[in-house]
Amino acid sequence: MLLKPSSVELLAPVGNWDVLEAAISAGADAVYLGGKRFNMRMHRTDVNFDDKMLADAINYAHKSNVKLYVTVNNLISDRELDNMRSYLKLLDEIKPDALIIQDLAILELARELNFSVPLHSSVMLNTHNEYAVRKLQEYGITRVVTSREMTLTQLSLLKERTGIEIEYFMHGDMCVAQSGQCSHSGVLFGQSSNRGRCLKPCRWPYQLVDTETGAISDNDPGPYKLALKDMCLYRNLPELIQAGVCSFKIEGRMRTADFVKRIVGSYRRAIDKYIADPTGYSIDKDDWQDVYENRSRDFTTCYALGNPGAAGIGYSGEREPRFFSQAVEEAGLNGTAAIQAFSGELPEDFEPTLTVRVADLAGLTTACQNGADIVYVGGEAFKPYKPWTTADLTEAVAQAKQHNTKVIIVTPRITMEREIGEYEHFLSNIRGLNLDGIMVSNIGMLNLTRQTCSLPIQADFSANVFNHVTTKWLKNNGVVKATISPEATYGQIADLAANSVLPLELIVHGPLEAMISDHCIPSAVLKHDPLACDDLCAEKRYALLDTAGQHHPIMIDQYCRSHILFAKDLCLFQYLGSLAAISNFRIEGQHYTAEQLAVIVNAYRQELDKLKSMRSAYKYDPRKLDEIVAVSPRELGIGVFRYRVSR
Amino acid sequence: MYQIGILQLTQNLDDAVQGFKYGISKNGISAKFHYLNADGNHSELPKLAAQLSDLKVDLIFACSTPAAKAALELEGNIPVVFTPVFDPVGAKLVETMEKPGGKATGMSGMVTSESKVAFIQRVLPNAKKIGVLYHKYDTNALLELGYFKTAAQSSFEIIELGISDPSDLSKLGDMLPIDLDALFIPIGRIVEENFATVVYYTDAVNLPVIASHAPNVPSGALAALTASHHKLGEACADKAIKILTGANPSTIPVGIVEQPEILLNNFAAQNLDIELPADLIAEAKEIFE
Repeated sequence: MLLKPSSVELLAPVGNWDVLEAAISAGADAVYLGGKRFNMRMHRTDVNFDDKMLADAINYAHKSNVKLYVTVNNLISDRELDNMRSYLKLLDEIKPDALIIQDLAILELARELNFSVPLHSSVMLNTHNEYAVRKLQEYGITRVVTSREMTLTQLSLLKERTGIEIEYFMHGDMCVAQSGQCSHSGVLFGQSSNRGRCLKPCRWPYQLVDTETGAISDNDPGPYKLALKDMCLYRNLPELIQAGVCSFKIEGRMRTADFVKRIVGSYRRAIDKYIADPTGYSIDKDDWQDVYENRSRDFTTCYALGNPGAAGIGYSGEREPRFFSQAVEEAGLNGTAAIQAFSGELPEDFEPTLTVRVADLAGLTTACQNGADIVYVGGEAFKPYKPWTTADLTEAVAQAKQHNTKVIIVTPRITMEREIGEYEHFLSNIRGLNLDGIMVSNIGMLNLTRQTCSLPIQADFSANVFNHVTTKWLKNNGVVKATISPEATYGQIADLAANSVLPLELIVHGPLEAMISDHCIPSAVLKHDPLACDDLCAEKRYALLDTAGQHHPIMIDQYCRSHILFAKDLCLFQYLGSLAAISNFRIEGQHYTAEQLAVIVNAYRQELDKLKSMRSAYKYDPRKLDEIVAVSPRELGIGVFRYRVSR
Repeated sequence: MYQIGILQLTQNLDDAVQGFKYGISKNGISAKFHYLNADGNHSELPKLAAQLSDLKVDLIFACSTPAAKAALELEGNIPVVFTPVFDPVGAKLVETMEKPGGKATGMSGMVTSESKVAFIQRVLPNAKKIGVLYHKYDTNALLELGYFKTAAQSSFEIIELGISDPSDLSKLGDMLPIDLDALFIPIGRIVEENFATVVYYTDAVNLPVIASHAPNVPSGALAALTASHHKLGEACADKAIKILTGANPSTIPVGIVEQPEILLNNFAAQNLDIELPADLIAEAKEIFE
């Protein structure tokens, strides 16, 4: 590889003017910062730039030959769309070098507004496969900030296959959960990590509990089981450069000028030294010492060189710089929900559809027998369940046909190289299975599906549908039905539903996933090493116990990802009348036994039928709710519906 | 040109630094600022203070009690001007507020408990029973709790709600007596930084929160009476100028907050079904929607 000074871009975070000057004087090639509107650091209004300062900052950076990117990486609600349009117009005038975006709606708005500034996709867009990159390229995206879970080898491959510019986080505070896919703060506090307001439940203390015996692990390395250390690739710069990553991103828009100056300066010198003489390069001891001694948390290489397992976690919490919240008891069924009372009005042609996701054939049979219109099969299989084989799927379709129930196949939320390869194979052989549709969780799988088969495509909740413009984007890309974001409140759903160009589906019952992580919690805590996992999850189930006394089940899938559930399952049974405008209702049934599912599906079926027949005279049946409560393996709650507005 | 060192504990105190710089330049003083920030890391402060000493600065402006302590512990005679220090006497930065007696003076960041009690009465005229949520090992919180209890003696019944670990806040729902009229939060880092958890529980029972830390207001407190860090910084600049032009810090009294600022949260008021008095709204420095 022939290196030039322009081969690598050192990209620094900027929170205020002092930091801007410091980053540039220390040798950043580019900086990124947020405006006062729409970006990922909304707690700290003092670290963002107002409109006038943004323009000044762009001029200042350009005079120093430094590029400036503006983060617009929030999900937006319908009510914020006008403000977003005007913000985009402003940005189009003041011309930063690029915007870093998350919401698919921005891709749609950029076309609508003839937007001229280049777009980069944010880490919050959770981009981790070549099909996603190609889809983004169709929309003029010139650079992706890839998922942090990608290794350098995977980055090289992605770059080689697509030609896209790759920006990669290489230093600073990182998320333990997959970016853009964590709803813990959003659902629990009504303050979404997808909207710049994360309250960091991953930094809470937890105990690891054996779900069956209730025993607390006695091999405990410390309470902070999800507290990822800070990333640092200073010692691995040659590998990073040779991997073909073009932009080396430092995290930390809330950092001080001093901190940014020190880090940027050290990386600047190392990069210059390497590019000038790669074969003669060695690490500068003093610079490394300086970076190390001034670290905030301890360091890890995160996923760059492979899954770090227990070595990536700071279990003691000693070096956590600050906390943002402590665990709270999730809102139960008795909590006040910010849901308008049933007005008695129903859509003229109200035809409710009940969909149930199931884990196995027994669940499928039960769901069909108790009145599911559609069943979702496939996707992640959570231990001890096994993945659906082709034979299982054939059997599923045969059984469902007897009940006139449709079968739709789900695909995993995260689809890296392995999953994509497997689905390339699966989808090209899908025709003989007679499935009724397929549900995708990310735009890569959407693109692959559309290229490979002709089944109707739905978008799952991972697509983060928070406004109606996103439904336009999905429709333009072949989607026929979309699932509403689990972080949207009643008011936000009403706004979205009023303008959506796609039929919408709402999850009304079942466990919701707070976090999804490539970090295997039980093996890290109990074995301290991901390679020595002993297949723990095949035999035992685990949960995280928080300081409010609640158990969060850890569900582990066939790809070894940990899905951390909320302690309480969502239950909107009492509010079906108020939610009738949606008309597609889903039960996430994959974590229930067939016996539990029978009661739950039956109750919802009867209630929806009653709503349809009684119309304005409908009143919900508390006895049915009691039946659901009686069989539920976990307590029930109202999730984000506690809040009027999800901020 | 004077050489002035600025020693800061966290970025949260940026306003004080800006106020200080503004105060210096407003008075036509030419100075070069050497700014060091420990980024929240207490143990870094002595090292950073030593760096300023090596630069032979004429004066150190120290933001926060730990920064002031680190600057005072330097050998030699570099004068120190501090803010926002809650209890300069208790922290042994000065001998008395009137006559500091050493190389340091500054501005206390404390808003008097008398004014806070009067403020709560204006925001919630019917309030009788007030809970005070504080961390038992936080000296600032304990100090303010003591003053507040004395000041509130004839106005409120006070219920002390002390926690000994941040995770105790997870059980706040069980700790709150059902008949509280308001929850008051004195100064203190642990409760302030985990405020989302506090407001989660108070919202569930429609309990208004009166905070002491400005950022807690947009995060869901109903109101706060706070010291303006910018003004504290400016007042420190006046003291610094006196010292730079020959006065002895030992004789410059430590100042106190004279015009605290009113912060209100109208979104919280609506959720609580409380109408904020018009005169209060008119006086407010900022109203969050």
